[in-house]
Amino acid sequence: MKKTRFGLLAALALATALSLTACGSGDTGDTTDTGSDEPAGPVTLTMSGWSFQTTPEFQVLVDAFEADNSDVKIELKEYDANDYETLMLADIASGTATDIITIKQAKFTNQWVNQGALADISSVVSALPNNVSGAASYTVNGVNYGVPYRQDSWVLFYNKDLFDKAGIAYPDGSWTWDDYAAQAKALTQALSADGVKGAYEHSWQSTLQGFANAQSPGADVTNGADYTYLKPYYERVLDLQQSGAQETYGNITTNKLTYQGQFGKQSAAMMAMGSWYVATLIAQQASGDADSFAWGMAPAPQYDSSTTGTSKTPITFGDPTGLGLNPKLEGDKLAAAQRFLQFAASEEAGVALAQIGILSSVAADSVTQAYFAQAGIATDDLSQFAISTHDTRPENPPHAKIAAIQTALGEAHSAIMSESTPVDDALADATAKIKDELA
Amino acid sequence: MTTATTTARPVRRRSRLRRRNTLLGLSFIAPNFIGFAVITLVPILILFYVAFTQWYAVGTPKWTGLANFRKLFLHDSTFIDALINTLYYTAAHLPLTLAASLGLAVLLNRKMRGMAFFRTAAFFPYVTSIVAIALVWNLMFSPDTGPINQLLRFIGLSDPPGWTVSSTWAMPAVIIVGTWREMGYYMLLFLAGLQTIPAQLYEAAQVDGASAWSRFWHITLPGLRPTTFFITVMLTIESMKVFDLVFVMTAGGPGTSTLVISQLIWRRAFEGEGEFGYASAIALVLFVICLGFTLVQFVINRRSEK
Repeated sequence: MKKTRFGLLAALALATALSLTACGSGDTGDTTDTGSDEPAGPVTLTMSGWSFQTTPEFQVLVDAFEADNSDVKIELKEYDANDYETLMLADIASGTATDIITIKQAKFTNQWVNQGALADISSVVSALPNNVSGAASYTVNGVNYGVPYRQDSWVLFYNKDLFDKAGIAYPDGSWTWDDYAAQAKALTQALSADGVKGAYEHSWQSTLQGFANAQSPGADVTNGADYTYLKPYYERVLDLQQSGAQETYGNITTNKLTYQGQFGKQSAAMMAMGSWYVATLIAQQASGDADSFAWGMAPAPQYDSSTTGTSKTPITFGDPTGLGLNPKLEGDKLAAAQRFLQFAASEEAGVALAQIGILSSVAADSVTQAYFAQAGIATDDLSQFAISTHDTRPENPPHAKIAAIQTALGEAHSAIMSESTPVDDALADATAKIKDELA
Repeated sequence: MTTATTTARPVRRRSRLRRRNTLLGLSFIAPNFIGFAVITLVPILILFYVAFTQWYAVGTPKWTGLANFRKLFLHDSTFIDALINTLYYTAAHLPLTLAASLGLAVLLNRKMRGMAFFRTAAFFPYVTSIVAIALVWNLMFSPDTGPINQLLRFIGLSDPPGWTVSSTWAMPAVIIVGTWREMGYYMLLFLAGLQTIPAQLYEAAQVDGASAWSRFWHITLPGLRPTTFFITVMLTIESMKVFDLVFVMTAGGPGTSTLVISQLIWRRAFEGEGEFGYASAIALVLFVICLGFTLVQFVINRRSEK
């Protein structure tokens, strides 16, 4: 009897302790305390980020901000890059999300707004200077939820050494996709002795659909009615794949080929890729992970000649990376966090980011200059034009069902590229699914 | 309790003893049960409610009645694809794994030198990281450069399958890997079952001149019936909720050719719009299907027991 009572008591004690610690952690985890009772001192904010070892941009932004704002301290909280959204969801649901929430993928904006995880920051966004691009990607029902600090866009990388070897002229900014395809075949033929392919197109749906959605006249990925405009893009690429001018989708997926390896180790002479690859390529050439070769950037090939040539503005695509705020913020903390967001989309922050190879959402000469001052970067005129002049359309325009739309189109992409389903059938299937989703 | 107060002393002492033993027993299972209740049981019970709501993992779920299910069965062809794929996987994976693991168990149920090595070898895939398995098998299945197709071409097949990059062959490829991975585990269960069959039965049959096949058919199989039943139930449920293997091998592609229900649940909840209500509705359907299969299996088992 005594033992039983002791056991019961122990169980009760344990249960009480557990519930107490649960409450306790809730209290300490509460990051939204306005600190009104605390003595005046620096305001401390938390901010989410990922893979700090390889993604120094968060620390750079924070350091640059804190240098001018000694009354604010920003603590970075690291998440795993691959599971960022899932981990954030856990923190959002438990009420322990950071004060400043980094929006890694624009297509998650809608979900987080649904979950009440992002505050309306329209006042901050409307005060941003005109040269900041990408804020539209974080707009849901006319309300702004994010400030873009980073804006990548897709360009054409090419290996100058391989072009020289093949005796083919470098891209000059005048290419349409048909020119690109013709050159890819010519390069493949000229470099066949070395087993080099003319082009590399990675297995992601964005490598094709991103361009088609941005460039095709009248195309709107969110309208759900008609995706036949993707067909000419697919037919061109399937032809390249079948003729051996680019690696097949099957080999890329089963052998887990990386685009860094394919371009960096000179297996392909050119590759359309996001501008984030610039920093990677420089780093890998310095470390020896990539071969040493001369390279350059050209504007992405265009739908037709109406947007080609350096006198025009080429159309490309890309999503921004942005910062949102926790709706629980108020008082001093809110004011400090808003100041930080404004700073992140400023020319000063843009220059700081450009120095580590990150393209800011701010278009300014000082930012471009800082970007091309990096050691190891291609500095020719066309590379500078490709990086500084473009009409970058959002890959994921704001829409309540954008993720579901992209999923259906992604299924069509793998079905077509693996050559298991004819283009028309796969696109019709995707269209039917998207219509259901939007109904 | 009223009977306890009126009964004699020894009975009272016995009932006190029983209560004490019950409490002691409960305290032993408490740590496990509390964990199970908090992490598994309560969320499952909540799921039954959430399935009838619109909910984004935060805030109050909005009751929508049968709307999720109406959309699921009438306006979501991806769900129908996933349902068919899941049934396809189960229909092929279940008999294949059952046959392979039983065959292995019978083969390895002998007293022979090196038997421990072969048993370990057969079990090894089960304890290997599934990501590593998927990576290596993907390389082997590579349509142009993979060793499997090279072998098929060598033996004269001019047009070998595209495996994981063909919507026709991706599911067979996944089933092959799934069977290869799990047969070792179920082999162990069969081996344990084989130990329970009395050796005298085999000796008697041998004396009567029964062939190896008829010994297997008339002694081994009936003797293994409880084990086979257990494995069939477990395998059905495991196959219906397969996720990790498909996710890392093909991610559901090409197209939706290997998309299974579990992946669809995950996709709806964690990718994109965060529709936890809708994802819960799919999970509920999967639960009902699994429950249905298991009940049928129990009924069949009971009937054949009689």
